Amino acid sequence: MTTHVSDNIIEARGLTKRFYGFTAVDGVDLDVKRHSIHALIGPNGAGKTTCFNLITKVLQPSDGAIRFNGVDITAESPARVARRGIVRSFQISAIFPRMTVAENVRIALQRPVGTSFHFWRPERSLKVLDERVDELLETVGLLSLRDRSAADLPYGRKRVLEFATTLALEPELLLLDEPTSGLGSEDVERIADLIRSVSKGRTILMVEHNLSVVSRLADRITVLARGKILAEGPYSEVSTDSRVVEAYIGGEE
Amino acid sequence: MMTLLGISPQLLFGQLLIGLINGVFYAMMSLGVAIIFGMLRIGNFVHGAQYMLGAFGAWYLLNLPDLFPSLGLPSLNYWWALVLVPFGVALIGALMERLFIRKVYELEHAYGLLLTVGLAMLIEGLFNVRYGAAGQQYNIPEALKGGVNLGFMFMPYYRLWVIVAGILVCVATWYAIERTRLGAYLRAATENPDLVRAFGINVPRMLMLTYAFGVGLAGLAGVMAAPIYQVSPQMGHSIIITIFAVVVIGGMGSISGAIYTGLMLGVIEGLTKVFWPQASTTVIFVIMVLVLIFRPAGLFGRETVAAHAADMSTARPDSILENGRLWMAILAIGGTIVPFFIYPVFGMKILCLALFACAYNLIFGYVGLLAFGHAAFYGSSAYVAAFTAASWGFPTELAILSGVAMATLLGAIFGWLAIRRQGLYFAMITLALAQLVYFYAIQASWTHGEDGIQSVPRGYVFGVINLNDPMAMYFFVLAVFLIGFGVIYRIVHSPFGQVLKSIRENEPRAISLGYSTDRFKLIAFTLSAMLAGLAGGTKAIVFQIASLADLYFQTSADALLMTLIGGVGTLLGPIVGAIIVVTIQTELATLGSWVIVVQGAAFVVCVLFLRKGVVGTLEDWLSARVERKRIAAGGGAPVVERSSH
Repeated sequence: MTTHVSDNIIEARGLTKRFYGFTAVDGVDLDVKRHSIHALIGPNGAGKTTCFNLITKVLQPSDGAIRFNGVDITAESPARVARRGIVRSFQISAIFPRMTVAENVRIALQRPVGTSFHFWRPERSLKVLDERVDELLETVGLLSLRDRSAADLPYGRKRVLEFATTLALEPELLLLDEPTSGLGSEDVERIADLIRSVSKGRTILMVEHNLSVVSRLADRITVLARGKILAEGPYSEVSTDSRVVEAYIGGEE
Repeated sequence: MMTLLGISPQLLFGQLLIGLINGVFYAMMSLGVAIIFGMLRIGNFVHGAQYMLGAFGAWYLLNLPDLFPSLGLPSLNYWWALVLVPFGVALIGALMERLFIRKVYELEHAYGLLLTVGLAMLIEGLFNVRYGAAGQQYNIPEALKGGVNLGFMFMPYYRLWVIVAGILVCVATWYAIERTRLGAYLRAATENPDLVRAFGINVPRMLMLTYAFGVGLAGLAGVMAAPIYQVSPQMGHSIIITIFAVVVIGGMGSISGAIYTGLMLGVIEGLTKVFWPQASTTVIFVIMVLVLIFRPAGLFGRETVAAHAADMSTARPDSILENGRLWMAILAIGGTIVPFFIYPVFGMKILCLALFACAYNLIFGYVGLLAFGHAAFYGSSAYVAAFTAASWGFPTELAILSGVAMATLLGAIFGWLAIRRQGLYFAMITLALAQLVYFYAIQASWTHGEDGIQSVPRGYVFGVINLNDPMAMYFFVLAVFLIGFGVIYRIVHSPFGQVLKSIRENEPRAISLGYSTDRFKLIAFTLSAMLAGLAGGTKAIVFQIASLADLYFQTSADALLMTLIGGVGTLLGPIVGAIIVVTIQTELATLGSWVIVVQGAAFVVCVLFLRKGVVGTLEDWLSARVERKRIAAGGGAPVVERSSH
């Protein structure tokens, strides 16, 4: 496998998505380098979330191809690409509200165990996962709440829980859709620290509106506007690009 | 006289004409259902009853002098009815929307369907009480009597009128929705009610008028149908399931599609009557199956919108009422004592139906799929068990297992088909597939049509226990029930059950964690069918009969009602529901048709006021009591504040 795998974990070519006459993503070429934090930014309606949905196969592209680790995944199902190691978070906190905090994490750990279809086995058989569940909850600071119902957590903690669930899958590529949206400044710090701490040995692709978070975390930034790539590069370069400034400030007119 | 494939042109064109007439009614009805579904997201099961109201309305107007002799009212003929009745029915529709349906817009879509099922049972039941099964005659209006000989066939004027007028009404409706400003507002309001409200439009009133309009169409169809079919309380019930199949075939989001599909299916049905009469009752359902396999979005439908499993469960996992081991023991002990106090037959009826409801709860409560055709599994297993025991002399346990195998197979096939569509479509598809099995049982020879399979021997279990002894039979049924109950508890509390729970709670997230949720749903559906089959097969042995009633829509509705009354997704809810429903049915048995009315009312009351069911409400109350005690004991505030997000 090591023969010649390119440096890029994701290579999208000519990615296009049309909705009934409206082109949300228009011929985007996107390379995401392995073990980097890559941010997608852009004004509202630029096509960031659509890009996300295309890569995670929630949407089927109208045109173009996506390769993950050199394998063409354009025609695969969302569950299949998740099993390949591409795991996403959602804009609104995606938790299982009426399961406990520990069960939320365990459901992610359970799949690789291979007993998910075993309807004859008692729930006890999942006890072997408890240690790892607690470890993960410890990492994100939720261990003291492990037996609470997830619905009872405040919003910021819910996002943290979602993050822990995502991490449980040991994803090779983590896609975070606005991980700090709707959070207070304290929670933003907490999430930003978490993202940095889990980025070791992983690749992260994130959509983010909070530019201070982007500037601190991202190695590389792609700016989208009206479904097309406007600019690409490190923060220092992109933030001074006149087209980007115009898209953000003048684009509203 | 020339013939085509040995078929006379009279027969061919005669059936084509009948097919076209039926097609017009299908088109008008499915148009109303599609509008209401599209705009209000309500699966309007009561549409058939509203159509029946239209026919009765016309009949009432004609018979005003006889109905109210003291008032000296004139008899109003067909043409008056054609104008007045649709408005009258629309008004009733508006009232129903205002009083009932409006209350469920914000809830899971399943509640809308359940509510309208209840309303349909209520209305049709009341008419059944008053008029019985017999139909009333309504004569063709004077001006449209007679007909014209077209050379190859005789064309009655009235039928010609129905075809022309029906198609014109459909086209006008299509125009109003797709081409006028009002229609544009309507379509916008369904996409984003808040936005349209911001334009200064009264959205609730608009939705009420939309509902009234769709219902008025059904009323109009009823008036037009009165001189053709008999005016009877059942006339709407038989058509509504077909209409749902038509809507599934046509697909979502296309008004013209509903019209084409209705007409086309009527004609196909008519042709089937000519070439293969036995298949004419099932052909529409078979077409539905083919469409689901090859074009899951429907003939005219757009890409299916991803709707997800509905979380309607009312259980609190930590409640004492959810402790399976404890309740298994209590049920075993209670079940052992009970036959010494009540009739064993009554106890066995409750046990069979409780197991049926528990099986149903597995898919409805624990996975969140509104299946509406579990009678197919219950009934097919009853038939197979009865047949193998009576005709092939299978020992009892083997007969029941054969029934279970049949139900499991059907469950796998129906599940595979139905899971292709989501939400309300899932309900409509399972309903239509069950109807297919029902029609099959009417026609097949081994099922003995209306008689069913009677005098099924109870036989011996394992060759030794004589089930003709009522107590032995009772304890056998108790054992079957407890096994079924234990199996369901195990499924729910297994690694597999955990995934089911996650699908119910948040399906997109479960997919993003790598679970192919459709496969889990299919396995759960098959298991649910299997256990429903266990209940049905056992029932056939206990009552020594398998009959059409076991396969009928009402049996599916019973499973739903028991689950709903008891508490969806709770451990004990289906059992409590079964006790309540069986008691009602037994107590009211002497009142005949009133049973349906009471059950319909129970549906409506449950959806509007008791959505958590008896057990769900009890669990809430117990949990609130624990919380109060904890606070009173100085336990202080909860650890984490509740957030509004």
